[in-house]
Amino acid sequence: MKSEFVFIALPASALIASSAFAVQYLNVEQAQKAIFPSKSFTAAPVKLTSVQRKAIEQACGVRVLNGEQRVWRVSGGGWFIVDEVVGKHEFITYAVGLNTDGSVKQIEIMDYRETYGDQIRDQKWHAQFVGKTSKSTLKLDSDIKNISGATLSCRHITDGVKRLLAFYEIALKQ
Amino acid sequence: MRSRSSSEIRRCRPLLGTFVEIAASGTNPADLERGIAAAFASVEKVHRLMSYHDPRSDLSRLNREAFPKSVIVHPWTWRVLEAAQQFARESDGIFDITMARLLASRGYLPRCEYRPHNAATWRDIFLRKNCRIFFRRPMIVDLGGIAKGFAVDRAVEALKDNGVVAGIVNAGGDLRTFGHASQVIHVRHPAEPTRIAGAVRLRDRAMATSGIYFERRKHRRNYVGPLLDGRSGRFGQELISVSVAAAECIVADALTKIVFSLREKAAGLLAHYHADALLLERDGTPSWMFRSSCDTRARTPFD
Repeated sequence: MKSEFVFIALPASALIASSAFAVQYLNVEQAQKAIFPSKSFTAAPVKLTSVQRKAIEQACGVRVLNGEQRVWRVSGGGWFIVDEVVGKHEFITYAVGLNTDGSVKQIEIMDYRETYGDQIRDQKWHAQFVGKTSKSTLKLDSDIKNISGATLSCRHITDGVKRLLAFYEIALKQ
Repeated sequence: MRSRSSSEIRRCRPLLGTFVEIAASGTNPADLERGIAAAFASVEKVHRLMSYHDPRSDLSRLNREAFPKSVIVHPWTWRVLEAAQQFARESDGIFDITMARLLASRGYLPRCEYRPHNAATWRDIFLRKNCRIFFRRPMIVDLGGIAKGFAVDRAVEALKDNGVVAGIVNAGGDLRTFGHASQVIHVRHPAEPTRIAGAVRLRDRAMATSGIYFERRKHRRNYVGPLLDGRSGRFGQELISVSVAAAECIVADALTKIVFSLREKAAGLLAHYHADALLLERDGTPSWMFRSSCDTRARTPFD
């Protein structure tokens, strides 16, 4: 018996328009719970002065695009920060939990957006999948969930975290 | 199978230089949370051991010290090196982790302070007993994709160990599904990475795709990518992509690189691993497909 491996190509005509591939993994509250379970949070947003911005840029070599930083103080010590980065193909919101000593506790991607072709919403194309595998019970979603393909680098996040660590040193550390 | 109370948790973290997404479904949310935490811990462990960029990793220690005297590595690092050597043997050197020096010379990897030998190949790596590794020549190795595949396999193992019955782990395009239901996997367009060329269905199986789209760079008027043939040292130029499905993600990842060079001539090796392959041309159409015979006792490097 041969394997069930079947490739269903998209019609070329469907490759024109583009839309977004987007996943929301966590909202703010869920991200807080994921990084600091059973803690409470006090909002403590920071508006950077131009002097602070320059100091952060100098310390980490990464540009500060947003002068306002969404920060929460964590009960019992530590910080929870929500930040955004923009890449060539992606726009990402992520959360970073910092320990009391300013070290990174955990990073969670909250929102991930990439641009893709519009054909994904084409119902006729999707209909091709129905019944392809007899034992399948999964309903075919109209969104892209899993992509196999080239690695999109997380360099922008790495730079973002570097910037947040400099932000901690300059604007949060007491 | 989706029962009334079944739910899914999907999380994503930046690891292994890419985005690692883990989804788990089941009926007990506490099991899912625990499983996902354990799965990410496994990926983080692979990241710590096999990162090319972290000077404290096993891999950096090997590159620094395995020539002239041997180095003892973690059993996981040893297993990945063992698999890499097996693929090198079976592909007659197309798959060769010592080609990292060429990647470094073209800027795909940071340069090292020490000078690798120009003629070093996989044959200069020696795996000794008790996780001891020796390099016969100074060289640099990079476990890149194959470590990613290994991390995906360990993450799936961690999910299963924690009672998760179905899920998917996707490390920047190297992925593996498990559980009763099949999953739709979209494949990127080989020439336009922001587009989708099509999709396959996958059940209880891993898949990896290699192409040069995102990392193409201009070199002497041609665009080349970080995929190279270890026998000739030539970089990939064609805007094709190769997807391979296999029981284990480490196998799927390694085989994509071999099929990229060998194309149809890789059929024997694919059959040997009970793997499926799909070759997409630059216009996004499939030019070759290989379907393995269905054997659940698929061979793995760790038999």
